[in-house]
Amino acid sequence: MLKHLSFRQTYWLLGVLLVVAIVASAAIGAFSFTPAQMVRYLGQAAGWLPAVPGDTLGRNVLLGLRLPRVFVAGLTGAVLGVSGTLMQGLFRNPIVEPGLVGTSAGAALGAALVFVFGSGTALAFTHPLGSFAVPVAAFIVGFAATMLVHRLSTSFGKVNVFTLLLAGIAVNAVCGAGTGFLSYIARDPQARNITFWNLGTFTTADWRGVELIGVFFGLSFIWALRYGKALNALMLGENEAAYLGVNPRRLILWLLVVNTIMVAVATAMVGVIAFVGLVIPHVLRMMKSADYNFLLPASALLGAVLMEVIDIVARVIIPPAELPIGIITAVVGAPVFLGILLRQTRRGGSGFYG
Amino acid sequence: MVELRGVSYQVDRTVILHDITTRFQPNRFNVILGPNGAGKSTLLRVATGLLQPTAGDVRYGDQVVSSFSATDLARKRAVLSQHVELAFALTVEDVALMGRYPHYERVPSRRDRDIVQQALALVGMDDKRRQQYPTLSGGEQQKVQLARVLAQIWNDGDGAEHTYLFLDEPTTSLDVHYQIHLLDVARGLLHHDCTIVAILHDLNVAFQYGDVFFVMDAGRLAHVATAAAEVSRDLIERVFQVQAHRIHDPDTGDAVWRFALQSNGRRGGTGT
Repeated sequence: MLKHLSFRQTYWLLGVLLVVAIVASAAIGAFSFTPAQMVRYLGQAAGWLPAVPGDTLGRNVLLGLRLPRVFVAGLTGAVLGVSGTLMQGLFRNPIVEPGLVGTSAGAALGAALVFVFGSGTALAFTHPLGSFAVPVAAFIVGFAATMLVHRLSTSFGKVNVFTLLLAGIAVNAVCGAGTGFLSYIARDPQARNITFWNLGTFTTADWRGVELIGVFFGLSFIWALRYGKALNALMLGENEAAYLGVNPRRLILWLLVVNTIMVAVATAMVGVIAFVGLVIPHVLRMMKSADYNFLLPASALLGAVLMEVIDIVARVIIPPAELPIGIITAVVGAPVFLGILLRQTRRGGSGFYG
Repeated sequence: MVELRGVSYQVDRTVILHDITTRFQPNRFNVILGPNGAGKSTLLRVATGLLQPTAGDVRYGDQVVSSFSATDLARKRAVLSQHVELAFALTVEDVALMGRYPHYERVPSRRDRDIVQQALALVGMDDKRRQQYPTLSGGEQQKVQLARVLAQIWNDGDGAEHTYLFLDEPTTSLDVHYQIHLLDVARGLLHHDCTIVAILHDLNVAFQYGDVFFVMDAGRLAHVATAAAEVSRDLIERVFQVQAHRIHDPDTGDAVWRFALQSNGRRGGTGT
C-alpha cells in the first residue's frame, strides 16, 4: 500500500494522520468543540486573546480534562507500538507484545502493590518521591516478569513459540492472580479501582501523567532508535548477529530495560492495554517494510494514531458512559493475534509477510 | 594467519576440544574435516571469537582475538553458516546491507551501498535485489547470505587489512550447482588478502577446493595435511569408520573417493 513511498514520506504521512487524529480526539466527546472554539480557548490560555467569562467552562474542560487525555492516549499508543516492535524483534516473532510476554501484567502488579500497601504507609501519594513509587515498582515487577518469560522461552539462542506462549500464560496468570488478590484485600476505594484500571482507562489522565509518560517515553524512544541495526541483525539469529558485531546478551538486556521503562510508566498511569503492541508492527510490516530502522519511528506514530481513534470510540460508543480501552483493543486485536498464530503454525514458524 | 595455542573447550565436565595448537594458513583455503561430534563446529566457533576457549588462546596475526572490540572483529572476519531463515521479510538488498553494519553508525555511506551492489553482482543476485528474501529458493537465499558476508569483509585495496572468512558447513542442503558456485566465489577471495577456514562435509568437494586439511577426531587434531594427496586412506578409514576407495578421474587424473561401511563390507553407504 505504501510500498512506493520512501521511509521519510511514510513518516510524514503518519505525522499528518496523527495531527488529524489529535484534533479530532480533542474535539469529539461528551463536550464537543469546534476548531474555532479550540483555537480561542488555547489563545485565551496562552494570554494572546482576552478571556471571555462565558468561555471559562469550555476552556477548563478542554485544557484541564480533554487535552491531557488526548496526549496521554497518544503517548500510550506510541509506547505500546514501540514496545511491540522491540519485543517482536527480541523474540523474533510477530505474535509477541508487552501484554503477552508479561511486561504489562508485571507492571500492573508492581503498581497495584504500591496502590494497596503504599497508600497505607503514606508513601505513594504524599511522599516527595511518591510520584515515582508507582512507576518504579511497576518497572521492577514488569522487568522481572519479562525476563522470566524470555528465559523460559529461549534455549540455545532460539525462541520456541509454544514455550513462549505457555510461559507467557503462566507468568501473566501469576501476575494477574497477584493483582486480583491485592484488589480483593484492598480497603482504600482507590485500590478498588484496580479492577477497572486492569482494562485500561484514560479517564484519570492529567498533565502530570502527560509529563511522566512523555519524559520516559521520549528518553526510551531515543535510546531505542540506536537498536534498529542490531534488531535487524538479530533476525538472522543470535550467532549471526554476534558475527556482525552485536553483543546479543547486552542487546537483550538493554531491550528489556528500555521496553520495560516505557511500558511500566504507561501502565502505572493508564492500566493494562493489550494487543496494540501486537497490531502496530504487524500492519507496518504488511504495508511497508520489516526493517527495524523504519519500524521503530513508524510504530510510535501509528501507535499514537490508533490509540486516539480507539479513545474516540471509547468515548462516543455508549454515551454517557465510557467503554474501557482494553475491551476495544481486545475485540480488534484478538482476531489479528489468532490470524498470525495460525499462519505461523501452518508455515512451521517462518516466512511471514512473504 | 589464525593461530590456536593450547585451545581447550569444555562444557561442565564434557571436554569438546582438547589442547589444540595449530595455525590456519594465510591466503589459503583451510578445511576442517572430521566425523560428526568431532568438535569441528566448536573449533570454528572458538576460532571466530564467538566462543571463549576454556584454556589457551586464539590469535589473528599477533593479536589475541578476545582483545578486539566486537565491531573491530566484525570488520575483519565474517562467518557464513548453514541456511539462515528470516523471521520477517526483508529485501535481498536489506539482508546484504547487514554485512556493512559494523562499518557505519546510522546511515550507510555511498561506499557501503556500492559495496553491497558489487557483492550482490559477484554472487549473481544483483537483478533480484528488490525481491523479498523469503520468496527466494534455498540456494538463492544462501547466495544472498554469501553476498552479506562478502560485503562485511570487502577489500577493495585501499590499504585495508587482512581479512578472515569462516564457512560453517555453508553448502549443506545446496544442490551441486550452488555448492560449486559458492566455493568458487569464496576461493576468489584468496587473491584479496583473505584467509578461509571452512568445515565441509563432502570429502570430494573438500579435497577439490581445499589447500590445507585439518582432520579432527574426538576433540583432537588427528592430522594436518598441506595437500589432498597427503590425506591417507588409512586416516580416513580410521576417523570416519568407513572403507575408502580412491579412484582416478580418467580425464584429469584427480583422485575421487568412494566410501562404504566397514563392518560387513556392504556397499551402498556411498556419498559422504
